[in-house]
Amino acid sequence: MDFGSLGLSAGPLNVWMVWILPFVGALIIPAAARVSKNSSGYVAVAFALASAVSAATLIPLALHNQEIHNQIPWISSIGLKAGILADPLAAIMTNVVAWISFLIFVYSLGYMKGDRDLMRFFFWMSFFIGSMQLIVLSDNFLQLFFGWEGVGLASYALVGFWYRDKKKDHVGTEGRTVLGLLDYYSPTQAGMKAFIMTKVGDIMMLAGMFLIFAFAGTFGFRELAANTSWATAMSSQNLLIPAAILLFGGAIGKSAQFPLNEWLLEAMTGPTSVSALIHAATMVKAGVFLVARLGPLFFALAAAGLNMDQFFEVVAWVGAITAFLLATQGMVHTEIKKVLAYSTGSQIGYMMMALGIAGLSRQFVDGYTAGFFHLISHAMFKASLFMAAGSLLHVVGSRFMTDMGGLRRLMPKTYIFMWAAGLGLMGAPFITTGFWSKDAIFGAVYQSGNTWALPIFIMAVITAVMTTFYTTRMIGMVFFGNKSKHVEHLEKDGYHVHEASPVMWVPYGILAALTIGVGILGLTFEHEIHNIFTTYLSSTFGIQSQVGAVATESQQLLGGFLEGVNPIALTASLSAFAIGFALGYVFYIGRFADPAKFVNSNIVFYAIHKFFLNRWYLDALINWTFVVGPLYLARGIYRYFEDKVMEGFNLVPEKTMAGGARILQSTQTGISQSYLYVFGAGILIVVLLLFI
Amino acid sequence: MLDFTSTPIILTLTLGAVGVIIPVISAARKEKNDSLYGGIAFAALAAAIGFVAYQIISKHVLPAAIFSKGVLANDMFGSFFAIAMLIVGIMTTVGSFNYMKGRANPAVYYSLIILSSIGMVLIAYSTDLVMLFVAWELMSIPTYVLAGFLKKDPTSNEAAIKYFLFGALSSGIIIWGISLAYGLTGSTNIEQVIAGFSHLSPDMMPLAILAVGMFIAGFGFKIGLVPFHMWLPDTYEGAPPTISALLAAGTKKAGFAAALRVIIMGAIALNLNWSLALAVIAVVTMTFGNLAAIRQKNLSRMLAYSSIGHAGYILIGLSIAPFSAIGIAAALFHILNHAVMKAAAFIAVAGIITTLSISHIDKLRGLGRRMPITSLGLVISLLALAGVPPLNGFWSKLMLFGSAINAGASVSWAPYLAVAGVLNSALSLAYYGWIIRKMYFEEGESEKRVKEPKSIIAVMIFSIIFMVGIGVYPDPFIQFAKSAVPALTSLSAIH
Repeated sequence: MDFGSLGLSAGPLNVWMVWILPFVGALIIPAAARVSKNSSGYVAVAFALASAVSAATLIPLALHNQEIHNQIPWISSIGLKAGILADPLAAIMTNVVAWISFLIFVYSLGYMKGDRDLMRFFFWMSFFIGSMQLIVLSDNFLQLFFGWEGVGLASYALVGFWYRDKKKDHVGTEGRTVLGLLDYYSPTQAGMKAFIMTKVGDIMMLAGMFLIFAFAGTFGFRELAANTSWATAMSSQNLLIPAAILLFGGAIGKSAQFPLNEWLLEAMTGPTSVSALIHAATMVKAGVFLVARLGPLFFALAAAGLNMDQFFEVVAWVGAITAFLLATQGMVHTEIKKVLAYSTGSQIGYMMMALGIAGLSRQFVDGYTAGFFHLISHAMFKASLFMAAGSLLHVVGSRFMTDMGGLRRLMPKTYIFMWAAGLGLMGAPFITTGFWSKDAIFGAVYQSGNTWALPIFIMAVITAVMTTFYTTRMIGMVFFGNKSKHVEHLEKDGYHVHEASPVMWVPYGILAALTIGVGILGLTFEHEIHNIFTTYLSSTFGIQSQVGAVATESQQLLGGFLEGVNPIALTASLSAFAIGFALGYVFYIGRFADPAKFVNSNIVFYAIHKFFLNRWYLDALINWTFVVGPLYLARGIYRYFEDKVMEGFNLVPEKTMAGGARILQSTQTGISQSYLYVFGAGILIVVLLLFI
Repeated sequence: MLDFTSTPIILTLTLGAVGVIIPVISAARKEKNDSLYGGIAFAALAAAIGFVAYQIISKHVLPAAIFSKGVLANDMFGSFFAIAMLIVGIMTTVGSFNYMKGRANPAVYYSLIILSSIGMVLIAYSTDLVMLFVAWELMSIPTYVLAGFLKKDPTSNEAAIKYFLFGALSSGIIIWGISLAYGLTGSTNIEQVIAGFSHLSPDMMPLAILAVGMFIAGFGFKIGLVPFHMWLPDTYEGAPPTISALLAAGTKKAGFAAALRVIIMGAIALNLNWSLALAVIAVVTMTFGNLAAIRQKNLSRMLAYSSIGHAGYILIGLSIAPFSAIGIAAALFHILNHAVMKAAAFIAVAGIITTLSISHIDKLRGLGRRMPITSLGLVISLLALAGVPPLNGFWSKLMLFGSAINAGASVSWAPYLAVAGVLNSALSLAYYGWIIRKMYFEEGESEKRVKEPKSIIAVMIFSIIFMVGIGVYPDPFIQFAKSAVPALTSLSAIH
């Protein structure tokens, strides 16, 4: 690799700096906070910006299909090296993470104003993005895992940030139970839940990692790709697919995919900027990134005669199920952040679906591009939506949409931005990034030619209908209709509901504008990413795309404007949008019908509604099986076994020791004499042992 | 003639001078300004460590050369221990700033710490049995005084008396071993003793074995090997906690230095089947230490038992030394790590005792919020002791257990040492975790933050950086430990 040709702008140092700078910032923050309590925020923003600028210097790598791979010795006693790998995939990802994080940091300056623990907040936020960038830029599994755990730790600290567990910081409706268990979580509980559930995935990932290491003797991504004899060896022992799926387990946990999805909903208890960070830039994207890192590696094994279809089928199905499952629940909940959280899980499901389907189709790059494009567009509109939701919470002082209503005149800027970003989430035709990326996924799934393509495609389209519906519902409930009692009450008390400060609305305004701006150029943007990945995949992994395959199947629509777009996928996404939007409009914007009356009108709707509202009973079942049940079991064991049997047994050594001690401690001098006696006996024993 | 440019001589002269002068200054001064003496001691020890480090970096230390007329060797082995011991000396000194505030005779206190540190350093550099014994006594005698420094406190007196009693006994036993060795070989130079041992007539063998047994018992007392450990919990509990840090982290490790110099090499020369003997002691020691620690309610006493357990882990490395190339390196690395971890833990305890007068584990409730930095230091040192990655204790335990597994190729029982070690580490998490739980997850009677002593904070921050730093990037220290091994193996290769 000739670094000289890259010019001064991108060297290994820039890459290292991208992830080191946030950590440096995190270290400086406590010191800065001593000088001035409010300075920690500015330090964090400054370092986030510096990291983002370093990331920006890597953009040429993506455009020219170059890579920087730099290693330093780490633990040379066991042959481990630390390294960074900035290839086009990492270069794009790192910019998405860095710039969105930067905007969220700026927003946090306003959102967290006046909090008593600013230092702790910004410390963990910086730590969070540092760890995420470490994941993105690592050149090996082990180092990636360090970042992976760092992200987990930071999310635990930030989800449970308001550890005093005040009522307003909880998530769920107070007193509501599902299957006899409270569906109402405090911040500390939520933090613990997130930590433990993702840890399940982490352990699977660790197992997969070391399984591969045992065969390959390396953790390095490039080394694994260069010599694939390890894969053949593993495959001959039927370990290759299990190892790959174990690795995917890590992604399932981190990205909140079925069946480890439930933590994401309670992760809402953190400050809203944390939610924005988790949902748009860091945590959940880490899982998708991992799959994007590994996907080509596994797909390229086909060249070695290994069939990885099973792995990709698992990925695709997990994605499809999650997308569907979480979208259904997003339609019924009334907490605004929870709706957005469901939507995140669901959208991540789309990305997984695309990456999985990529491995099952002839055109790997189509699905790959679609999944990654959706990651980028989702990062933009979801960060914007979360920050806007944060503004609403901030102003209205309630997390329930039923406590909002009629806000469009009171908060016009937020109203407009939320429409823009919301349209992105709905996939409003032709003008939003969300439309193009979702359409690309539909196209990739439909054209893949896999046996499962049709059912997955149908699930994806139904999910799109639901997505549009709940987004419309959200905007309708918040901004349309009459003011809620809560808002009226506030105004009666003399509180004026107003727009949030510029430091808050500017960041989400920018992202909302980008959603539309990039959306208008969406197809060009997509083609650009497609080209980047086509060259990247063929040069790095030798995955050739069949040129012309797209052209033959696609048709020229609207005079070439829609070249490369599959007409069936296009029709599907257009009609999904139309149906979902129409339903949402009828119930929540136009308010021609009362949704509550509609749901209660017959037993089937009522049952479905309740089923969704109770989260398909998954959360409660997981709780029963893994938390409450074992606790009961433990209590039973304690009462009937430990208390009776073990305690009795425990008394034996205890009594022996106590008895021995009594003998020894009979007199003060007695102790030392016995000690000396033992000492003397010990010498004899040692000498005897030596003679043996 | 003495070689005055040799590192051990320079260290002895300069530190010795400072140690002697401190009480003189105190006598000359009217006011009893405590911080002055601590400051002088700290400066002297810091300068000493800087000097040793400079010698190593500038490659003035030969890997296995014998200087000073065969009495002291300025080799990597000695330098390694010198660094470890001086770190402990500094941590103890700085940790004592706060503890000694307002107590009597600070000048003598710091002076004794310095003198004891010289003794520890010299043990590591000794290549002659008489020199070794003199250094051993130089290390021990000040600590007898220090253990009983709280002269109005009966438990401190009891600690000192017990410690002294056993110290005297073990000194006698070591002398016995030395006299046997001298009688058999006509020399006290370790190199020549070993050479003599390897050419011994068969009817003299039992006496030689007895000599090695005496060394094991004599040094094993300081190390805290079962069954020579019984004084140890009483002493660590009763002594001032800062001195417990010095004992657990410093003198105990000096015992290992002596053991490595003498026992192993002597045993190799005698072609003894000593590995199994040491392995048995290792397993018994670690199991006893960890089991006994579980039921302790006093923090210092629990740490005392935990240090017995760690002596067992380190002994794994010694026992499999002939079969695994990295056994001794692993033991050395763990010695260094344990020195810092245990010193940090004891000094955290000292900080807790001085600010809150708490030593009972149940009273630690909510400490994480009352003394956040001290608690963080204590937690990290406990986790490091348990061997949780990515902290330094993880790597050295990994090396120890890994070397035991490697040795399985030569001796079938070696992997069981690793099994015992892993089981014991898991067991130890039970009582370390218990403390962490008390500190962070239980509500205390008071949650109000108290002012933490600056000197304790300084020690905590240093140790946290050390433990996490080595945990993330252990390589230089592993290399350092490996570089200290040839000094030993080249000696044994003489015969």
